[in-house]
Amino acid sequence: VDLARLLEPRYWTVFLEWEIWLFLLDGLRATLTIAIVAIVLSLIFGTLLALGRLSPWRALRWPIALYVEIVRALPVLFIIFFVFFGGAAGITLFGVKISWTDPIVAAILALTLYTSAVNAEIVRAGILSVERGQVEAARSLGLSYVQTMQHVVLPQALRRMVPPQVSQMITLVKDTSLAYVIGTLELLNKVKILYSGFETGPLQGLFVAACIYFVINYSLSLLSRRLEVQPLQQVRAEAGTV
Amino acid sequence: VLALVLGTIVAMLRVSAIAPLRAIGAAYVEFLRNVPLLVHMFFWVFGMPFVGIVLPEVVGALLGLAFYTSAFVAEAIRAGIQAVDRGQVEAAHALGLTYGQRMRYVVLPQAFATTIPPLGNLAIALTKNTSVASAVLVPELMYQTEVVSARSFAIYSTFALAALLYLALTIPLSRLVAALELRLNRYRVA
Repeated sequence: VDLARLLEPRYWTVFLEWEIWLFLLDGLRATLTIAIVAIVLSLIFGTLLALGRLSPWRALRWPIALYVEIVRALPVLFIIFFVFFGGAAGITLFGVKISWTDPIVAAILALTLYTSAVNAEIVRAGILSVERGQVEAARSLGLSYVQTMQHVVLPQALRRMVPPQVSQMITLVKDTSLAYVIGTLELLNKVKILYSGFETGPLQGLFVAACIYFVINYSLSLLSRRLEVQPLQQVRAEAGTV
Repeated sequence: VLALVLGTIVAMLRVSAIAPLRAIGAAYVEFLRNVPLLVHMFFWVFGMPFVGIVLPEVVGALLGLAFYTSAFVAEAIRAGIQAVDRGQVEAAHALGLTYGQRMRYVVLPQAFATTIPPLGNLAIALTKNTSVASAVLVPELMYQTEVVSARSFAIYSTFALAALLYLALTIPLSRLVAALELRLNRYRVA
């Protein structure tokens, strides 16, 4: 055991060089691209899936429930491999053969598939958490279904969804590192390349990577805490003016 | 199990009355849970040999998984302890119960009830997270799936089989958690 190697300056001074940061920032860009595109797509699909699962048509409800339950129970890494190898082999949809080999595309697709299923449950729970009596009260006051959703259900549901949605986003940012296994040049992979080439030590490189991930995710969680508090104050302020 | 032990210790740190201990606990939780699991595993498997500690891949992956999960366990347990109404502790105190009795008869049974569902969910997540170990070359289910599919080119069927195996592990687990939750809720209402 030789702990002195940890403090050897030459392993740390590389992080003072601009080229090294350019190299890492390139990886960070891939990480953020995957994360942001997947977050946006899965917010949209997750909401659609949730609405579908709450819809009165059984033919729509059951396939969606099946999809959500199965996908949520699988490891993300499994889905990434599946989409990557499946994409390389190509799938035939309506007679058109589609295939993809770009690992970034595969990572985005895989993370969207998984996170949509998780988001669907978050949105569904949010909508269901609004008390039934409120919907009935709104309807009996003469509000239409759309008005009820817009003014009564969604404002409350959305507010309750914020914390779980943000923590799912944090999970997604962390899961982008799994795209390393299919050869995506994201942050973790770049760090690995750095220390494999002995530019820096593995512990130092991983520590820097850990700090970058921490900064992104911790800011997200701080943001979530702010959002959690703010709308409530807003509501109180509004209630005060009535 | 390792994650449970570590997590409980850290949770105790976080609810302790001494501010520096609380700060250490908070830093531990925030840093560990905001860093990807794969980075944790890399740290133990590829990082430790750098300072002369060479671990077998399985042990390294296990340590990575344990430390990562312990941060989440700590949060779950802390939330459980804090969910117990303060008035109850004061009431128990007023009734003449000692600290040990208060914890045993009043706080912990209730904290336990609120902690079980999140801990169960963590167990499910942990089962799924074992797949990440394949990235550091531990021959678990995911790794074997890749090997078989690479050899046989039967991608879809191999993956379907692996999916079934994962589902066979996670679905009964989530059923168990749901059942436990129901039973504990009943107990709490009563």
